[in-house]
Amino acid sequence: MSLRALTLVKEKYPDAFVEQYTDRTGGAWGVLKPDSLRQVLAHLKDDPQLDFKLFLSMDAVDRLQLTDSVPRFEVVYFLYSVTHHEHLRLKIRAGEEAPEIPSATSIFQGANWWERFVWDFYGIRFTGHPDLRRILMYEEFKGHPLRKDYPLRERQPLIPERPIRDIFRGPGTSGTA
Amino acid sequence: MSESDGKKPDGNAQPPPPGSPTIHPAAKTGPSPSNPPPSPTASGPRAGIEHQPPAAKPPTPPPTPGGKPAPKHPGFVTVTVDGKELVAKPSENMVDAVKKVGADIPYYCYHQRLSIAANCRMCLVEVSNSAKLVPACQTPMAEGMVIQTKNPRVQESQRAVLEFLLLNHPVDCSICDQAGECKLQDYYQLHDYRSSRLEGEKVMRTKRKVLGPLVVLDQERCIQCTRCVRFMAEVAKEPQLGMFGRGSAEYIDTFPGKQLDSNYSGNTVDICPVGALLNRDFRFRARSWFLSAAPSVCTGCSRGCNTFVDFMGQDTYRYRPRDNEQINKSWMCDQGRLSYKYVNQQRLAAVLIGRGEDRREATAAEALKSVAEQFKALAGTEGLAVLASPVASNEDLLATLSFARDALGLRSVYVAGRHEGPGDHYLMTPDKNPNRKGLEWIARGLELTLKPFSELGQAINAGKVKALYAVGGEVPVDPTLVAHGFGRLEYLVLQSSNESAITAQAHVLLPSAVHVEDEGSFTNLDGVTQRFRRAYPGRAEVRSHWAWAVALAQEFGFPWTQTSARDVFREWAPRIPELATFDWDGAAPPLKVTRGLNPLATGADGRPPGYREFGPPRVRGI
Amino acid sequence: MAHADEREIEERPPEEDSELEAHLQTRRMMINLGPSHPAMHGTVRMRVELEGETIVRADPEIGFLHRGFQKSCENVTWNQCLPYTDRLNYVSAIMNNLGFLKAVEKLVGLEIPERAQYIRVAASELHRMHDHLTCVGAIGLELGGFSAFLYAIEGRELIMDRVSELTGARLTTTFGRVGGLNRDLPDGWIDRVNRTLDKIHELLGEVDGLLTANRIFVDRMRGTGVITTQDALDFGFTGPCLRANGINYDVRKAHPYWVYDRMNFDIPVGQNGDNYDRYLMRMEELKQSEAIVRQALKEAPPGPIIVDDWRVALPPKAEVYGTIEGVISHFKLVMEGVPVPPGEVYDCTEAANGELGWYLVSDGSGRPYKVHVRSPGFAILSGVPRMIEGRMLADLIPTFDTINMIGGEVEQ
Repeated sequence: MSLRALTLVKEKYPDAFVEQYTDRTGGAWGVLKPDSLRQVLAHLKDDPQLDFKLFLSMDAVDRLQLTDSVPRFEVVYFLYSVTHHEHLRLKIRAGEEAPEIPSATSIFQGANWWERFVWDFYGIRFTGHPDLRRILMYEEFKGHPLRKDYPLRERQPLIPERPIRDIFRGPGTSGTA
Repeated sequence: MSESDGKKPDGNAQPPPPGSPTIHPAAKTGPSPSNPPPSPTASGPRAGIEHQPPAAKPPTPPPTPGGKPAPKHPGFVTVTVDGKELVAKPSENMVDAVKKVGADIPYYCYHQRLSIAANCRMCLVEVSNSAKLVPACQTPMAEGMVIQTKNPRVQESQRAVLEFLLLNHPVDCSICDQAGECKLQDYYQLHDYRSSRLEGEKVMRTKRKVLGPLVVLDQERCIQCTRCVRFMAEVAKEPQLGMFGRGSAEYIDTFPGKQLDSNYSGNTVDICPVGALLNRDFRFRARSWFLSAAPSVCTGCSRGCNTFVDFMGQDTYRYRPRDNEQINKSWMCDQGRLSYKYVNQQRLAAVLIGRGEDRREATAAEALKSVAEQFKALAGTEGLAVLASPVASNEDLLATLSFARDALGLRSVYVAGRHEGPGDHYLMTPDKNPNRKGLEWIARGLELTLKPFSELGQAINAGKVKALYAVGGEVPVDPTLVAHGFGRLEYLVLQSSNESAITAQAHVLLPSAVHVEDEGSFTNLDGVTQRFRRAYPGRAEVRSHWAWAVALAQEFGFPWTQTSARDVFREWAPRIPELATFDWDGAAPPLKVTRGLNPLATGADGRPPGYREFGPPRVRGI
Repeated sequence: MAHADEREIEERPPEEDSELEAHLQTRRMMINLGPSHPAMHGTVRMRVELEGETIVRADPEIGFLHRGFQKSCENVTWNQCLPYTDRLNYVSAIMNNLGFLKAVEKLVGLEIPERAQYIRVAASELHRMHDHLTCVGAIGLELGGFSAFLYAIEGRELIMDRVSELTGARLTTTFGRVGGLNRDLPDGWIDRVNRTLDKIHELLGEVDGLLTANRIFVDRMRGTGVITTQDALDFGFTGPCLRANGINYDVRKAHPYWVYDRMNFDIPVGQNGDNYDRYLMRMEELKQSEAIVRQALKEAPPGPIIVDDWRVALPPKAEVYGTIEGVISHFKLVMEGVPVPPGEVYDCTEAANGELGWYLVSDGSGRPYKVHVRSPGFAILSGVPRMIEGRMLADLIPTFDTINMIGGEVEQ
């Protein structure tokens, strides 16, 4: 499908890819080196032959329980070109200890929330992200839920109530918690 | 119901049903979810991308004038399996060898440790030196042989064999214990996923015939693979089963007037690939996919057979043998198999203080404080004794005996334990305690002498021993007599897992964990130390012996900080020469993930999901 | 940015200074449009910093409806994931179900029977109408026009009646199984659907008449909530929100699936990328979906509704109770799940709000290893601050309406 796009990118940046392969269902994947992510994304977005301007989504996979489990995390990116009507799939592999990947926010604004999602649920940091905090979980949450070693029914400690100003709690209260 | 309604069988070979591989080789209506052969990167997103192109035609060996061609790897035999090269020892069986290249040959009657019968015909494969399909279990591998395990001819044969096996198989899955661990079910989904073509009734035979104290037979489910017959004859050396009748009227049975009462009858249940032979003790108690398995060691005797503990929630349902080439191969004795019952029955859960009418529940802290008070007064004197049990694990004994020596200032401990029983010709030993060797080693390493239980009885009667710290409630003589004797003690601290006559005599009763509730190691009678893993945490106030010892030592002012069995082993094992070289982490058996429904993982604190403390929990006796 | 009281007060030429424009000592006001708010569809918390009526900064906080969709799916079998997918975009549940099944079937390599494909198309479009009706009605409601809402909800109720006859449930349908469908069309359903569509056509006419040329409606919607095409693509807008900007991208036309290539329908494309265009997109799509449903139901051929492969589809009950093969297959499929070979797939369908993408990873067992849902609402909601920063607070409400953010799909 979009092996065409991947081949074009490979010509321009031959060192950016660890490998390119087609999965069993026919989808073309490019496995990137983390340092070349920004270059490749910018090229994909700007080159008129590629024109992958639509940032569909990104997510991560924790490969702990698969046979091929090192490196542990895979961060996957999905892009689309509305002019060429092609999907593109990229992935970056990151190891277990303090995984860090350059952020794509400077190139695609939509990556902002998706990277926060990956940080929230997998604990993968994105360097250069303007505001990397949890998005669906509350800030005091401990752990990264979608990791495979996070038990399904883990219990979280109770947290003290946040002091919220400007809420009137009744006569005699000072407005804070 | 069946597709060939209206077509009565007339004795001629019927064509295979529609959709079978020989008619539609690449069925568009189905996947091959018979999972591509597990190659090194077989699962996960990368699967399926390293396609090996199938060999177009078999490579012909170069013709040499007279005689066979020289082997490619001398000493080994080189064959081609599904296009991939396999180098194996000539003595290896083909069924086992092909697993190395990711091929999977199904089989029923073959077992690695039994003789070859080749009667199920499920393992038929195509080989280059035969026009007919040959059974893989019986065919020795020859140099340069080309083996096909996946082509349409082999698939059709597998489908046909399954169709025949299922033709007279009763519709029993809903009531059969083997569901979830049944090879018929597994192979059906992989190799024959068509409907039945049977017209008329199935053959009916004896159902639920009790063969012996542990085994019940359902002759309708039997596929006549003769694994049980061969096992009893070859491994247990007690040929109590036999195949009777001829042809399609064959059936398995015991000999007239005899029973299947061997101490190894339970293994026939394990090796039976279908639900014909079933364990009477486990029958109808649990569905296998709800059971989780933890690798462990049997505590029935000092042989230390490796087991799987099948548990659900916080109850143990059965033991199954785990492969260990050295000790128990793939077998267990029945006495050990049934020795799981004490893990569930009459377990102590709460800390109790006081004898008789004064008995009340207390917190662990309170009990420990009172114990420490009493023991501090008597420490070092002859009036205080410690009773150690060889049922406790190495870690328990390390902590307890170190406490006895350092805090209580003792130079000897008494040995309790279960009383001796009968042994047998294979696995079962007369000594019914799993860790006697470990106790001996640890005592020797810590320079404590071991004194037999009878001496303790004399000492109590003579009034010399006034206070006793008993670690483990198993005693080698009748518990009521022991209880009577313990009644004379002024202060008895008992750490026991099960309730018995003795627990009534304790002044302080601390509930202890059994081996399934904690990690640790046992040393068997041959000096082999083996690790076991934890299945589930203990209920309520249950703690391991080492945990109680550490807490007591802290009450005595010792700065002991061990919080796990691992810490205990690392702290004290170096002083024991035999245990110092034991690789505690490395020897741990790998955790096995069962197929199908995996049970919910435990919470971060090790407790089962949704665990709540609602007062003393019910301890269900099973 | 500095507060007003700390800022230098600019010098103004005296002739422009009038009493009406005398400088007020103002401070930015932080308003919390809290998660529990009638205009915050599906519990989103917007913290807006206002300067007078102008929104200076808007910070959406989501996560109040997160129920652990991915983690739950990883612990059940493939078919058991379907009830979880219902609850993603709960207003158009069938589209979630069938989208998920499409991805699983692609991963397995299955081709489903033709009748199943036609019925899937019809059911998807019916629920697309359901979603759009809710959205259009809610737009009217929140701008003050309650009657339009009632007409739209009446239409929605009629659809729910038909859907409950088809699937058994009004809202969370769990429709379809891996390999096809679980139920065929009830008797007489097609006629009832046609009559329902006639009625909905009338209701749509009413809503149209009430809203589309309405002065107040147009004033509030036109020119508000504008997003440039560049930004829209950047944020990942798809569906009606992207087509309102003029980009003609619809998965049904770009990568046709099921029998969409045989259906006669058009894709409405807007121009301005403002709220009014997004509203018009939905109104037009309602009409197109109506045509698709009629056509699909007319052309659906008779035949099986699920693949005839017992490795994937449950055997008929007569076989389950009567033959060993049936009961074995039933057991394995229910307890262990459909054995999807190991692999990964990214597949997408056109849901009501945009491209609903699924990234599935299988490890060969009957349970998913990873189920990533690319919810269109997530991407669009991340673009909302862009759309309203610098606009007035009153523009926030129609913006939130027209993007049709459904909390369930945003927060999984």
